[in-house]
Amino acid sequence: MERIAIQTNVLKANQEAALENRRSFEQEGLLVMNLMSGPGAGKTSLLEATIRALQAEYQIAVIEGDLQTDLDAERIRALGSRAYQINTGTMCHLDARMIARTLVEFPVQELDLLVIENVGNLICPASYDLGESLRVVLCSVAEGPEKPKKYPVMFHKADVVLLNKTDLSDASGDDLRELEKNVREVNPRAFVFPVSCRTGQGLDEWISWLRARIATH
Amino acid sequence: MHEISVAINIVEIAEASAQRNGTGQIQLIKIRLGEFTTIVQEALEFAFEIARQETLAAHARLEIEIVPMLVECLCCGAIPNPVRDIVLLCPNCGLQLQIVGGEEIQLEYIEVG
Repeated sequence: MERIAIQTNVLKANQEAALENRRSFEQEGLLVMNLMSGPGAGKTSLLEATIRALQAEYQIAVIEGDLQTDLDAERIRALGSRAYQINTGTMCHLDARMIARTLVEFPVQELDLLVIENVGNLICPASYDLGESLRVVLCSVAEGPEKPKKYPVMFHKADVVLLNKTDLSDASGDDLRELEKNVREVNPRAFVFPVSCRTGQGLDEWISWLRARIATH
Repeated sequence: MHEISVAINIVEIAEASAQRNGTGQIQLIKIRLGEFTTIVQEALEFAFEIARQETLAAHARLEIEIVPMLVECLCCGAIPNPVRDIVLLCPNCGLQLQIVGGEEIQLEYIEVG
């Protein structure tokens, strides 16, 4: 029996592909957002509101990841923005190689912001770097305030956490406060924005923050 | 359930290494798996049973060492382990705790022959 030392990150192949993606994004001076959440938290609604607010100033395009259908890409195209749908079949996350393949068919030159809307899942996408410069996690009040503690890796790695559906918070606002507290405990460095994509509440703060981030990138 | 893609990565890296060394069957694959990852040990073991089929690792055993989550405060030097309820705020000075262990998914070595 012979022992061969390897000492390698198991996700090395993805890390290398992500590094390549990041290099080409940086060359274009492009801000790339990896948008992640559980199913139904409101990723596409957030994107619609964000694109509407910023599309007069900036060129924005979206890569959509879903197991099936191109319904989300259609919603983005309806706003007049370019969108590319990746159907992952049974895969629970996007990986860096899928993004690299997409970039061959979906040019991102001339863009100011590329959003990658990941598969709705609070677990697997956390482990796969896509080459993004901004990790945004969305969680709705309706999912329950304990989610950051149940899925800590996802929340810990986020640069920004948006708390959506604040209009569905209970009258006292206790569940929203509990959710925000849990986010801050798992990730003290994240920017946190409570929003309601339905009523528009809180969206201005998020949009202003993102506008400044695009402008300084 | 992305353990299947992780298991396939493990087998691919192990096979490539065995081939580079011109050796035959892989008998054992040793990995270190952090507590603070998205990988579940039982799910990975199950996925490995599938991923190893018809490879040089077809008869290999997967040995998983669980690495506990370790934190320290970069500000005041406190080492408040174990972390309770995943509160990553220093109980001493209130600033952010740094995770210094438990995030690894590392292939350590293989045994061949």
